Amino acid sequence: MIEAGMEPAPPDWPRVGDEIRGQSFGPFAREALARYAAVSGDDNPLHLDPSAARAAGLPGPPVHGMLILSCFEPLIVRWRRDLFIARLSGKFLRPVLAGEGIRVSGRVVRRRDVPRPELTLRLIARAQNNDLAILGEATVLYKISGPLS
Amino acid sequence: MNALHDHAQSRDGMAPEPSADAPVRLPPIRVRTGAGEVAGFLRETGGARNGGFVPLTFPIRWMALPALSGLILQLIGGDFLPVHETQSFAYERELRVEADYVLSVEVRRTAKPPRLTLKMDVSSGQGEICAQLETVLRIVPLNLEPAS
Repeated sequence: MIEAGMEPAPPDWPRVGDEIRGQSFGPFAREALARYAAVSGDDNPLHLDPSAARAAGLPGPPVHGMLILSCFEPLIVRWRRDLFIARLSGKFLRPVLAGEGIRVSGRVVRRRDVPRPELTLRLIARAQNNDLAILGEATVLYKISGPLS
Repeated sequence: MNALHDHAQSRDGMAPEPSADAPVRLPPIRVRTGAGEVAGFLRETGGARNGGFVPLTFPIRWMALPALSGLILQLIGGDFLPVHETQSFAYERELRVEADYVLSVEVRRTAKPPRLTLKMDVSSGQGEICAQLETVLRIVPLNLEPAS
């Protein structure tokens, strides 16, 4: 079990409104989508076959939503290494097409110090054209058992 | 969603017959966080840390297991594609590399709107809940073009 809550928040514990500096990922070429399909098992032809994408009403294969959602973890870890991500959720709003990149960022929207230091983060992933691709939220706890390795 | 090409493998008799809007529960599924699979997943998902940990979204790959992907296909039916609508992960404890876990899976199809909702509990061998996932898939009809 992650030890969280037996100590007060550290002096530099973030405040509501603090921003998580944006980070870019991609561009995700079709080869990258094929590699993600291989490691995730998500071989939905929608992401790999242009004709399947067209049949679903898209101009081309979209990047796996889960690949984009996965980018929030390195964003949060780069921001602070003393956090346990207890919850991550995302709503997939618009597709990001193969060949495009994304930019993810976040903001602290809630802070709780007791009974344990906890933050709620609003997370967003935007496509190259600035469309909102994913609206996400994370709950992170102060991880007193030491920094993540 | 996952492993749509595995339909043939789903005919293993494990998936109970679904009824409208009734949840379908699969028998417990044993899985392992193999070091090779974890490293490959981390490599393709922009992992910022060194290895030795299981990425937060790694359990999504278990949706590609034949028993689960087959059930998804069975519930969706032909000429439709699942499109990911929402996803959540809730962790009680981090997963460890090279460890065994047990999945409990429940899938429900709703007709209005046409959705599949999957709930997956990831437990340790001792029965402690480690993580819970919820996946909502929108069911999209394919507009198949006639062959030219």
